[in-house]
Amino acid sequence: MERRFEDGCDVMGLWLKFLVVSVFLFSLVSVSVPWVSAVNGDVISLEVAEAEEALVSAYDAVLEAEKAGADVSGLLDKLNLGGDYLAEAVVSVRLGDSESAARLAGLCVEAVDGVEGEAVLLRDEAVRFERADFLVRVVGSAVGVVIVVVGGFVLWTVFRRRYLEKVLGSRPEVVSDES
Amino acid sequence: MSLDDYRVLFLVATLVLALVAASPALGVVVPFDGGSERFSELWLLGANHMAQDYPYNVVEGEEYTVFVGVGNHMGNSEYYMVCVKFCNSTVSFLDIDGGVPSGLSPLMEYRFFVGDGMVWESAVSFGFRNVVIDGDVLSVGGVVVGGVVFPVDAVAVWDSEAGGFIFRLFFELWRYDVESQVFGFDGRVVGLRLDMTA
Repeated sequence: MERRFEDGCDVMGLWLKFLVVSVFLFSLVSVSVPWVSAVNGDVISLEVAEAEEALVSAYDAVLEAEKAGADVSGLLDKLNLGGDYLAEAVVSVRLGDSESAARLAGLCVEAVDGVEGEAVLLRDEAVRFERADFLVRVVGSAVGVVIVVVGGFVLWTVFRRRYLEKVLGSRPEVVSDES
Repeated sequence: MSLDDYRVLFLVATLVLALVAASPALGVVVPFDGGSERFSELWLLGANHMAQDYPYNVVEGEEYTVFVGVGNHMGNSEYYMVCVKFCNSTVSFLDIDGGVPSGLSPLMEYRFFVGDGMVWESAVSFGFRNVVIDGDVLSVGGVVVGGVVFPVDAVAVWDSEAGGFIFRLFFELWRYDVESQVFGFDGRVVGLRLDMTA
């Protein structure tokens, strides 16, 4: 009876050890393979998430440059190349091809590498140009308004004088009757 | 005309000319939006690059081509994603039209950036694999989009009204929102109704 109880304890202990080792190995695997959860429910690898981050970051910079008035068409071409690679990487993840996904994610990062810096340069240049343009417009407008107002005043003065001369000149003279 | 009338005329003329002279500076200070509506457009064209000759009767092993396009009228560059999805006819387009995207997982996706007033267009080829008919049930085991085979498990029951096994291949437009930093469904869907009877 005691022997059977001891055997039962041994089996239980073995199972417990197996369970602990299994949980440990499972945890190890889940930690060693970096995965993140995407918005649409897909689970994507860390490389793809980093590529997406790089692409979005570059896009933010391009958007700022565009808002400052810069021509960003060249940068959009680079972003599109990155977008192509990223889409392919996401599809590869979906198909379970993590090797291709990592390679394509790397290509995406390469494609948009430097875009952020170029966008900042373009933005600064656009801001400088806009300031100069603003100054020219304001000064030009101010000078224009002054010319119009002064010119209008001069014209009015001349017109008024001639008008009065004409009107007064055409009036019949008042002759006093002294007789 | 009296002198006072002439005075008013001169004042008005001077004011108008002054406004014209000030317009370059006013153009910078006062924003002129033009009041135009901001939107994105999504279209689907047939193989001849026209809104006709869309594939309808499809068979396994054949390749079909359509053109998907996106136009940006949002006032600045936009980051778009077009998701290609496949389903049988039981999935209603009404849910999609209600501004809610389909809950189906996308097969292929296209990510691209479009400048304001510009368009993006791409030819999309598609086909089907592992089509099996079992009585009044047809199952599709794979959809090929852009040369990539996507395993699917789509089943259609014989539609006596339509007289065929009806499936749908559709394209959803998603737009990246800079504020929330995620893609949001743009509420635009175009799709093909496909009969796999042949």
